[in-house]
Amino acid sequence: MLLRSWITFSVIFSLALVLIFVGFLVSASLPFFLDYGLSPIVSSEWYPYEDLYGFLPALVGSAWAIVIALAIALPCGLAAAIVSVEILPQRYHGLINLCIDILAGIPSVVYGLLGIALLLPWLKNNLDLLSGHSLLAAGLLLAVMILPTITRLSQDALRDVDNSYREAASSLGLDWSQRLFSVLLPQAWPGIRSASLLATGRGLGETIAVMLVVGSIDRIPEPWYNLLAPAQTITSRIGREMGEASVGSSQWSALMACGLVLTLCVMLLSILAHAPRKRLARG
Amino acid sequence: MLILAFMVFGCRLYRMLNRIILACILLLPFQFSLAESTISIAGSSTVLPVMSDAAQTYKNDNPSTNITVSGGGSGTGINAVINGIVDIGMTSRQPTEAEWVKLSEKFELIDIARDAVAIAVSKAVIKSGVSSLSLEQIADIYRGKIKNWKDVGGFDEEILVIDKEPSRGTRHVFAEVVLGDAKARAPGASLISGSNNEERSIITRSNQAIGMLSHAWLNDDVRGITLKLDNGDTVSASPEHVLDGSYPIQRSLSLIVAKNRSEALQSFIAFLQSPALVPSIEKNGYLPLN
Repeated sequence: MLLRSWITFSVIFSLALVLIFVGFLVSASLPFFLDYGLSPIVSSEWYPYEDLYGFLPALVGSAWAIVIALAIALPCGLAAAIVSVEILPQRYHGLINLCIDILAGIPSVVYGLLGIALLLPWLKNNLDLLSGHSLLAAGLLLAVMILPTITRLSQDALRDVDNSYREAASSLGLDWSQRLFSVLLPQAWPGIRSASLLATGRGLGETIAVMLVVGSIDRIPEPWYNLLAPAQTITSRIGREMGEASVGSSQWSALMACGLVLTLCVMLLSILAHAPRKRLARG
Repeated sequence: MLILAFMVFGCRLYRMLNRIILACILLLPFQFSLAESTISIAGSSTVLPVMSDAAQTYKNDNPSTNITVSGGGSGTGINAVINGIVDIGMTSRQPTEAEWVKLSEKFELIDIARDAVAIAVSKAVIKSGVSSLSLEQIADIYRGKIKNWKDVGGFDEEILVIDKEPSRGTRHVFAEVVLGDAKARAPGASLISGSNNEERSIITRSNQAIGMLSHAWLNDDVRGITLKLDNGDTVSASPEHVLDGSYPIQRSLSLIVAKNRSEALQSFIAFLQSPALVPSIEKNGYLPLN
């Protein structure tokens, strides 16, 4: 009885927390949207001293960083999951999982330091950049950071595929690649999809490591596919400016609005990530 | 039997542990209220080394006072003291008009030292033959009109122009003197950095960088460039040029503190205004007021 009420309380408490956080973000950013409307979201100048709050450079920066990260981490993470679940014998699983967990457990600021110490000089020397601070650097760091999420969740998705499918595929005489591409991956797809969506959410919200290598300059890459240009992400902007914005000023509520946009994106991703699982259960 | 005894004992221990944790949680508020003489300081990363030295010296004679010092930049310091998050805000610039409105009558500004903002460049730039720059050339670099070191007498390399977060004290002073307005934009910037440390490490890693740094943060890899004045003289950011006013990019380092303050805070402020602060100022490369 006590246990049950405790659990009920915990559930209500976490739910209430989500509502309170989102509610606070909405109420804190409301003055901004009332004053400036929705146009800042698509305008490209951010300069608080001149009351210009264009979200576009940071939105574009965040989008590019996560696209680069996914382009690298998705194939690598998926491959790692396939190798560890389907190919390597059981006794190596512990070791591989340990490695992935360590990768996931390294604090993000340490990734940022590694980025400054190793990645930036490497990019600078090999790509002939001014300093190495670039969207590419942010994307590469993010790739390493979301790799464990993708690998671990894809592993789970593959493990959830019933063994009877594997046996049926073998008895049909399918070779390894046929078995992988026509049986295992389609079966595990909902899980893999939610893995990448959750990883996207984590990548979008990553702050300190990105802030240290992205350059923090509010400029849309010129031309738009120039990934070697320094840029700004939503998180790096909030991280750089929150301390200096005075509570209640329009800069403060503009930053809250950035936070709200980010939160909504991540919430949407989480909801999408949960949706396909239900469908699978029904089917 | 032994196992049973162990289990019973373990159970007791577990229950006791729970009680201890509960007691800690319940007593937590009292611990906060007990630590009355804690002084918190935040703000300018230029003033920070002076204050942490001063805090250490002060604590040697007043062990009952706890002092915490953290950075964040002048804008952060001013806002934190307005919002009551810290007791003392450190700033390396004058508060803006909007900030003064919020500071109102309740706070006062106390100058503790003077400092020059040096135009810092990578060592390789000096070696390539750039010996001095005029304010106009520096402005052109930050406005994006000059993009290559060869245009100011150096090697054929692009200039890595480092700007600072807009509310930083160093940037206000720099922009006011060089660009003509403390809040001016710098469209030529290739990067935004934050603290003196961050900026210095970017300049150190590059061979073609220019940035703005407190004079005290220069070293062998990051060198201050001499300014060519309109009358033809060249001045460096050295103490004598700051004191006689010939080096134009200079400022006061100050503290912002409530006029109505506790006894512990008042005694610390009195210490900061006494000659006892001079060694901390000089040790960190700044100039005492007198």
